[in-house]
Amino acid sequence: MGVLDYIWLGILSVFQGPELFSLFGLPVSVTLVMILCGFLLGIAVGATPGLAGPIAMAIALPILISVFGYHQDALLPVMGFLIGIMKGATIGGAVPAILFNTPGTPDAYMTTLDGYPMTQKGQAKKALRVAHFSSASGDTFSDIVLIVCAPFLALLVEAYLDLPEKTALLILSLSFISAVIGGSPAKGLISAGLGLLAVYIGTGEDFYPRLSLGTSQLSQGFPIATAVLGVLIIGSVFKGLEELWHEKRQSGQISVIKDKGDQRLRFAEIRRLFPFIARSAVIGTAIGALPGIGSTLAATLGYTVGKGRYQRLKAEDDPEFGTGVPEGIAATEAANSSVSGANLIPVLSLGIPGNAAAVFLILAAESIGGFNPGPSVFRFTADTVNPELVVAFGLFTAMFIANGLNWTIGGVFMRSMGVMIRIPKHILLPIVLLLTLTAIYVQETRMAAIWFALAFGVLGYFMRALAISPLPFVIAFILGGKLEESARQAFAATGGDAFFLFTSPVALVFMLMSVGVVVFTAIRSKGSEQSS
Amino acid sequence: MSSRSKSNLYLGFCCLGFSLLLLFVWIPLDTETGWIEKVRRQITIGDSLAPSVAALFLLVGGAILTLIERKAPGQPKLTGANMRFIGSVLLILFFSLTIMRYCGPLAVAITSAFTGDELEYRLLRDTAPWKYIGYICGGIVLIAGLIALIEGRMTGRAVLISALAVLVLIAIYDLPFDDLLLPPNGDV
Repeated sequence: MGVLDYIWLGILSVFQGPELFSLFGLPVSVTLVMILCGFLLGIAVGATPGLAGPIAMAIALPILISVFGYHQDALLPVMGFLIGIMKGATIGGAVPAILFNTPGTPDAYMTTLDGYPMTQKGQAKKALRVAHFSSASGDTFSDIVLIVCAPFLALLVEAYLDLPEKTALLILSLSFISAVIGGSPAKGLISAGLGLLAVYIGTGEDFYPRLSLGTSQLSQGFPIATAVLGVLIIGSVFKGLEELWHEKRQSGQISVIKDKGDQRLRFAEIRRLFPFIARSAVIGTAIGALPGIGSTLAATLGYTVGKGRYQRLKAEDDPEFGTGVPEGIAATEAANSSVSGANLIPVLSLGIPGNAAAVFLILAAESIGGFNPGPSVFRFTADTVNPELVVAFGLFTAMFIANGLNWTIGGVFMRSMGVMIRIPKHILLPIVLLLTLTAIYVQETRMAAIWFALAFGVLGYFMRALAISPLPFVIAFILGGKLEESARQAFAATGGDAFFLFTSPVALVFMLMSVGVVVFTAIRSKGSEQSS
Repeated sequence: MSSRSKSNLYLGFCCLGFSLLLLFVWIPLDTETGWIEKVRRQITIGDSLAPSVAALFLLVGGAILTLIERKAPGQPKLTGANMRFIGSVLLILFFSLTIMRYCGPLAVAITSAFTGDELEYRLLRDTAPWKYIGYICGGIVLIAGLIALIEGRMTGRAVLISALAVLVLIAIYDLPFDDLLLPPNGDV
């Protein structure tokens, strides 16, 4: 089997998978329908303030697994649906940001700066068109980079990294994520440390489940859904409710602004916006490829770089950035959308999740089985078919289909979603909480799982209250088991060498970088503290 | 937030204390093997090593907070209001989940007492309407209670919305599937 054969099989696995119905005599596969449904749902949740892609993924996952079961045929429909949500939510987040000055997702905050002023000027539809065009362009670019880079990176890892180096790479990823997320390396390390501790409770190789305090509940360990959904979703619901509780909700009427002037996006305007989109797409893709940094930073950087270029080139009487300039929306949306595809580079090539959406893709793969994201996926076996590689190319195909949907129906559907802003957050969040608890229960079928999830939710709430990012916790929880297993294998393979992480030059470099990134960010934060 | 807040320092001390407790008390007393073990003449990594790495993350994080980031600007701190809010939320959740857990069995017990039939909830937990009683009652209390907490009063509208939301959730998670069990029916 050659590379092209694998690519072709991947495409066929999406288009010729189990048939759901036929249209004009042509079979329509269930995966195609799931990508479409996920994409539309993603736009709807992205357009609803208080909801986000990961919440929809969390709620949908147990239902999808229940529908499709635990076999390899389920992988593409389930993961295609999640990819659809991921992509839809990214463009959906711009809708309330532009129409109502309320970002639907955190990374859409920068979109409000120029989007809402455009709405106030009666240019809402045009602003939405700019956001959609920029978002779809950034996303497509990012997906192309993913498809080109992920297999090569995986092949490099497989060719040059042995067990000690892979262990060191996992440590480097954890320390990098801890150091760069949230602006405080100390808090990132604490978050990751708590995640590692949580995953090691009740597990291990001995007969006695470690750190279980002799209790039967802890001896089974914490189910992954309780920890991930508890800290990420329930913690965020608690924090969102608290903000509303503090505000006591000053309900103001939404003023109706009528559209004025030409709302179309002309080719000349696209040509003017293109340099801003291109720069932001590169920035977003580069940032997205590094695990854990996320789309908010990409949006901020894209906006800043775009602003610099605009200031240099603008005529004297042109409006400033932040006063309703399409270039501002284009720079932000291209940057935050190009993160989503690139974020899957570390997931597919290294098995390391870089953001919350990637966490749910790994969760889906682990729940269903038959696909373990990591370097072993990209084994181009010549004599036999590597089913994981077919799934990987199926996922790439799904991403391109979602992109096609984005370019065709995405804009229209996005512009019709302005109505979602009218759902009050204080009603939505308690419903999301019960929805999440129900999703956890149907997977685990024991009340203890709900109590664990609530306990993790309280932990997530306190972490947010103390400005500790919950993402290192979740990523450490997911990688903890892999880190221990890899260390055990490396230790055994090196004949019980206690210094196995420091004997090979590559592993040594990774370990030095692990320490270096923490020290560097700590010194930099000290420097910024003194200057402030 | 306050630039004079000492929350980083306190958090740092807590993490240092907890990591030392982990390293010197919890891990040694609650794990059977050490960092490195000799099993059948082969040296392997014991069960203590991985949690010790977790403790090391906490130790280093606590040390950086205490030594380097203790005067960082804009440190958020936990206030009485935070504790009051989360306490109220937990109270509502505890109450609603208790209702969810015991309402169904209670309804069966009362029905048995009136009809004289020897009904057992465990045997009826996948049979309508019994299987919905706990989820509906507990779910309504959970959603309506949290809405009331934010609005500052309980309204009929909140109860109605909660009831509708619970019915929609039943339609999503229960009606289409034979193999999914709503809470608390999986372990009663």
